[in-house]
Amino acid sequence: MEAMAEHSRETRVTGESVADKIQERLQKRHQARAEDAERKKEAKESQSVAEEKSEYFASTFNAEQASIEELLSSCSGADRTVVTQTLEEATVKTLQLQKFLNDSILFLTQYELRRAQDALQKLLASSAEIREEALPKKKFAFRARSKATDKVSAPPVIDTPAGTGSTKVVGAPAESLQCCFSNMDNVCLIKTAEDIHKQDVLLTHLNNCKVRLFGSPSTLHMTHINNCEILCGPVSSSVFVDQCSNSTLAIPCQQLRTHNTTDTQVYLHVTSRAIVEDCHGVHFAPFTWSYPTLDEDFIVSGLDRDRNNWSQVDDFNWLAAGTPSPNWNVIPEAERKTNWEL
Amino acid sequence: MGLLTILKKMKQKEREMRLLMLGLDNAGKTTILKKFNGEDVSTISPTLGFNIKTLEHRGFKLNIWDVGGQKSLRSYWRNYFESTDGLVWVVDSADRLRLEDCRKELSSLLLEERLAGATLLVFANKQDLPGALSKEAIQEALALDEIKSHHWCIIGCSAVTGKNLLAGVDWLLDDIAARIFTID
Repeated sequence: MEAMAEHSRETRVTGESVADKIQERLQKRHQARAEDAERKKEAKESQSVAEEKSEYFASTFNAEQASIEELLSSCSGADRTVVTQTLEEATVKTLQLQKFLNDSILFLTQYELRRAQDALQKLLASSAEIREEALPKKKFAFRARSKATDKVSAPPVIDTPAGTGSTKVVGAPAESLQCCFSNMDNVCLIKTAEDIHKQDVLLTHLNNCKVRLFGSPSTLHMTHINNCEILCGPVSSSVFVDQCSNSTLAIPCQQLRTHNTTDTQVYLHVTSRAIVEDCHGVHFAPFTWSYPTLDEDFIVSGLDRDRNNWSQVDDFNWLAAGTPSPNWNVIPEAERKTNWEL
Repeated sequence: MGLLTILKKMKQKEREMRLLMLGLDNAGKTTILKKFNGEDVSTISPTLGFNIKTLEHRGFKLNIWDVGGQKSLRSYWRNYFESTDGLVWVVDSADRLRLEDCRKELSSLLLEERLAGATLLVFANKQDLPGALSKEAIQEALALDEIKSHHWCIIGCSAVTGKNLLAGVDWLLDDIAARIFTID
C-alpha cells in the first residue's frame, strides 16, 4: 500500500512536470516554426530577383528595343563603313535582347512573350532590309571565265620551248652519227645508202630544194622546209615533219608525225599510223617512188611492205569521231604524182 | 561485311600502286608499256588519248597509265596526276633536238603539287639506237642532279629489246613500297 501511495505521488509530481515540459516544447516548436517560416520567406525573397518582374522586363525590353531602332534609323544615308559598323552593333544588341527574352520566358505571360517576340522579329527584319539596301550583296552568277582563256594561258608553257630551244643540239660526242642538211636554197641534194644507213637524218631550213635520200635511215627529222621535194628510202622508226610548207614528201616509215605543216603532199607508206597536229592542207597518197635498191632498204628497215596505213591519219586537233578532219585529205587518184624524175 | 572482309580489302588496296608514264611524243611510252606486258610492239601508233594497263608484278598490282605526249595532249596530263605513286618519265635518248623541251616539261611537272609525293623514274629509252645519248648525258641534259623534291633514278633502257625495263620498274616498286607500305 505504502508503495502504491508513493507511486501515485510520484506520478502526480511527474504529471505536473510533464505538463510544464509539453508547454515548453510547444513553445519551442512554435518558435522554430516561426523562424523556419521567416527563413523560408527570406530565402524566397533572396531568390526572387527584382528583374523577375514583368514590369521590369517590359521597361528594359522597350528601352533596348528603342535603342536598336535608333541605331538602325541612323543608318539611312550614312557612309558605307559607318553603316557596316552600326549594323554590326545593332545585330549584337538584338542578339542580346533575344537572350534576355529567352531568360525571362519563365515568368512572362503568354501575351507578353508573344509581344516581345514580334518586336524582335520586326527589329531583325528592318536590320536585314537596311543591310540589303546599303550593302547589296553580289548577286550569284557563274563567272565568265571561259574555257578559251584557260586554254590560252596553258599553251605558252608548252609552246616556248618548241620555238626557242628546239634548234639546240645537245651532246656533241655522237654528232657524227647524225647526217644533216641545213640552210640551203635552190640546190639538189643526194645521199647514198652508205651515208645514211641506220642514222638519224636531219633536214632544216631548206628552200626550193630537191632532196633524194637513197637508203634506210633510223629516223628522219624535217623542220622549216619550204617549197621542196623530199624523197627518202624506208625509215625504220619515225619521221618528224615540223614547219613545212608547199612541199612534196615521199617516205616509207613506221610512224609519221606531222606538226605545223601547211599545203604539203605526202606520198606515204606507214606501217602504224600517221598523225597531224596543228596542220592545215596536208594531202596524202600512197608511196609510189621507187629506186633500184628500194627492196633491200625495205628489208634493212624492217618495215612490212604489205602493211600500209597511209590513209588512216589521226588529227590531234580534231577529236570528233565520225566527222573527217578538215586539216587533211586524200589526193584524188587522177591528181597523184607519178613521175619522180629529177 | 565482316571485319575480316574489310581487313582483306584494305590489304589488297595496300598492294596496289598507280604509275603514271609521261614524256614527249615518240619517247616510247606505249612501247615500254606493251613490252613490259609482253605484247607486240611493232604496230604501235602515236597515242591519241591514253592507255591503261593493270598488271601483277612481284605481288603488286600495278595500274600503269600511259598518256599521249603530243603537244596538244600535254595540257591534259594534269588530269592524271591524282594519287600517283610513281612517275615514269620516258626520254627518247636519240632525240637531241628536243632534249631542252624534255627538260622543261619534266621540271614543270615536278612543281606539281599533286605529284609531290611521287617517286620519279627516268627511262633513257632507245639505247639500242646507234645515235642514242648515254644515260649520263641525259642525266646532265635534264639537270636531274638538281632535283631535290623527289626520289629519282635514271635507267638506260630499250623498249624494243626490253633491256633494263624490269630493272627500272623494280627500282620504282622498291622505292614506293619502302615509302608507303608497312613491311610485312
